Amino acid sequence: MSDTSNELISWNLNGEVVQNESGMTIMEAAKAHGIEIPCFCYHPGLSIAGNCRICMVESNRSPKPIISCSERIAEGLEIQTDSEKAVDARDSVMEFQLINHPLDCPVCDKAGECVLQDHSYEHGPDRSRFVEDKNIRHTKELGPTIDIWGNRCIVCTRCVRFCDEISGTSELCVVERGDRSVVDVFPGIPIDNAMAGNTVDICPVGALISTDFKYEARVWNMDRTTSVCGGCSRGCNVEVEALDGFVKRLMPRENLDVNDWWMCDHGRYGWRHLYADSRQVTAQTTEGSVLPAEASKALQQTLESSSSTGFLVDPFMTCEELHLVKQLADSMTGSRVAGWLPADGTEESFPGGFTISAAKYPNRKGVEEIFGADVFGSAASTLLNDIASGSVDTVVAFVGGHGFDGAGAEWNAALSSAKNRVVFTTQQGAWSEGAHLVLPATAPLEKEGVWINEDNRAQRVRSCRSLTDQNFPSELVILQEVQAHMELRSRSLSAAGVFRELSESSSAFEGHSHSSLGDHGTPLSQKPAAVGSEGGES
Amino acid sequence: MTETLAFSSEAMKKYEWLLTRYPTRQAALLPTLRIAESEFGELGVPQMRYVADLMEIPPALVFGVVTFYTHYRRAGVGTYHLQVCSTLSCALRGAGDVVQRITERLGIGTGETSECGLFTLSKVECLGSCDTAPVIQCNDDYHEGLSLEDVDALIQQLRDEAGKGSA
Repeated sequence: MSDTSNELISWNLNGEVVQNESGMTIMEAAKAHGIEIPCFCYHPGLSIAGNCRICMVESNRSPKPIISCSERIAEGLEIQTDSEKAVDARDSVMEFQLINHPLDCPVCDKAGECVLQDHSYEHGPDRSRFVEDKNIRHTKELGPTIDIWGNRCIVCTRCVRFCDEISGTSELCVVERGDRSVVDVFPGIPIDNAMAGNTVDICPVGALISTDFKYEARVWNMDRTTSVCGGCSRGCNVEVEALDGFVKRLMPRENLDVNDWWMCDHGRYGWRHLYADSRQVTAQTTEGSVLPAEASKALQQTLESSSSTGFLVDPFMTCEELHLVKQLADSMTGSRVAGWLPADGTEESFPGGFTISAAKYPNRKGVEEIFGADVFGSAASTLLNDIASGSVDTVVAFVGGHGFDGAGAEWNAALSSAKNRVVFTTQQGAWSEGAHLVLPATAPLEKEGVWINEDNRAQRVRSCRSLTDQNFPSELVILQEVQAHMELRSRSLSAAGVFRELSESSSAFEGHSHSSLGDHGTPLSQKPAAVGSEGGES
Repeated sequence: MTETLAFSSEAMKKYEWLLTRYPTRQAALLPTLRIAESEFGELGVPQMRYVADLMEIPPALVFGVVTFYTHYRRAGVGTYHLQVCSTLSCALRGAGDVVQRITERLGIGTGETSECGLFTLSKVECLGSCDTAPVIQCNDDYHEGLSLEDVDALIQQLRDEAGKGSA
């Protein structure tokens, strides 16, 4: 957040002369040298408030300790982060922070990921000298998804600044003063914006609580998967957290090229479709449920007996799944591929620069990269006409995403008139109804592979299915089995292996691999430096 | 809630003059709230909302400012707001006894309003009148150098003033 120029400044950090760009704060510069100074109110995405005082360090330029979050480095500055004076100052701040804090960690949802808890462990006294009564502050609903537990609030104002600077909605304020001050909303104006959930993430204590996650899990018991949100083509980097096989919450993951530290509430709370009653979890023929192995056999037979096949892909599929479809289509004479798109939603932009895309699907760019730019255009209208005129025997349609919301009446009519209809679907719906073969499909968050967001950034998505008990073979497995039955493939590969095939066969993907994409993705046009053969696939 | 809140034309004139005295609109919030207080009698939710809409600033910000200061007249405060200074000088000179006396006479604790709606009792921080401790600020007036008898007399005087007879 600070305005840095390239001029280097020499200063002294804990007795060592170090160099940093001018304009950096002491805290940022120290972090660059591996020294983490504690903070509550400081957040790299927000303006500097300097009100919590926990980041105090000793300086040669001041008789008193200074706060490192707002003071900037200067030539000749000497800073001690862990001298007796600095540690004493921070210890005292910590003692004050804990005076009115209820220390109700055993029942607090934040416990385990609480900054106050961490700093208390580092700096806090092991007993309290405070014998007076603690202040009681309000516990109440601030909005449809957020409650405040005022007693825990340390008034760092991160949430208030977030609503002022990032979401631009300004619903939150600090009311009262002194030890009675606490975060609140104006009576009758709840916090209700599409980014509100972030205030809970950045709350350094358990004051703001997500009603969606309240009492759901202790955070240290959860398993985590590093993935990407499929809610829109922004592709926010997320962490999927699950307990005993059930997803409990999504958290944004820092990626300054995509979503900074944030994600929207549509994505954050938009995972319950995974457990919808209408979820398709078994393969079905017209006769009834079949085992996955029988389903891939049935699909192979259908494809081999079809003289002309239309593949209808969707923008939720990973590049790997799309590549497998392309291999199938290429091997079959008289086949063609088209794509369908869900209806657009509304684009939402926020003053802090965050934008929720109107395109409510994650991988349109990937589909276009693999099948050509007209896959959703002329290819789609040709396929529609061909189905209508009866010149297509079999349609293999993919219906991923959060649930079936239809691709329009045209497709519904065309598909119901197709002679043979095979549908990979996440949810039972109009397309799977009466289909000749239905196969369960993985939803976003359950996929393993690569999506390309609206800025042409290829990002690795990882499946939370290893954490959950939704157990059916993914499209990645089924499509490779079908290829094996058709003698197109001798062995099944992981998503990374399929991606390697893709990168070897397509110039757009050339040079990229799952490991080179890393946890934060890479623009497709930015080829990674040649890595030789070390590392291999993840 | 039938009538819509609005500044009188005089108050509006004063408000517009205020805006010329401050670098930003938001900076004029404190004196604007003073105008609102004298126009509407109190600063409750509708009044704060009116000021926020008028000044085009977030209502939450107005709420935060009004609750930060003790000297604004919030909604639900009685006709007479007895603010007893309880900072050092007054505390040493018997502010605690003054509060105690008011509580005995009126049956209200700090932060409470008497049933008749006449009195609200608050403890406040330094009123800047240490030389005449102990001090009560009643609405805009200071009552200084108070003995407990003076407190009784003050209550009686305010009751008479309100025309509600004596207790």
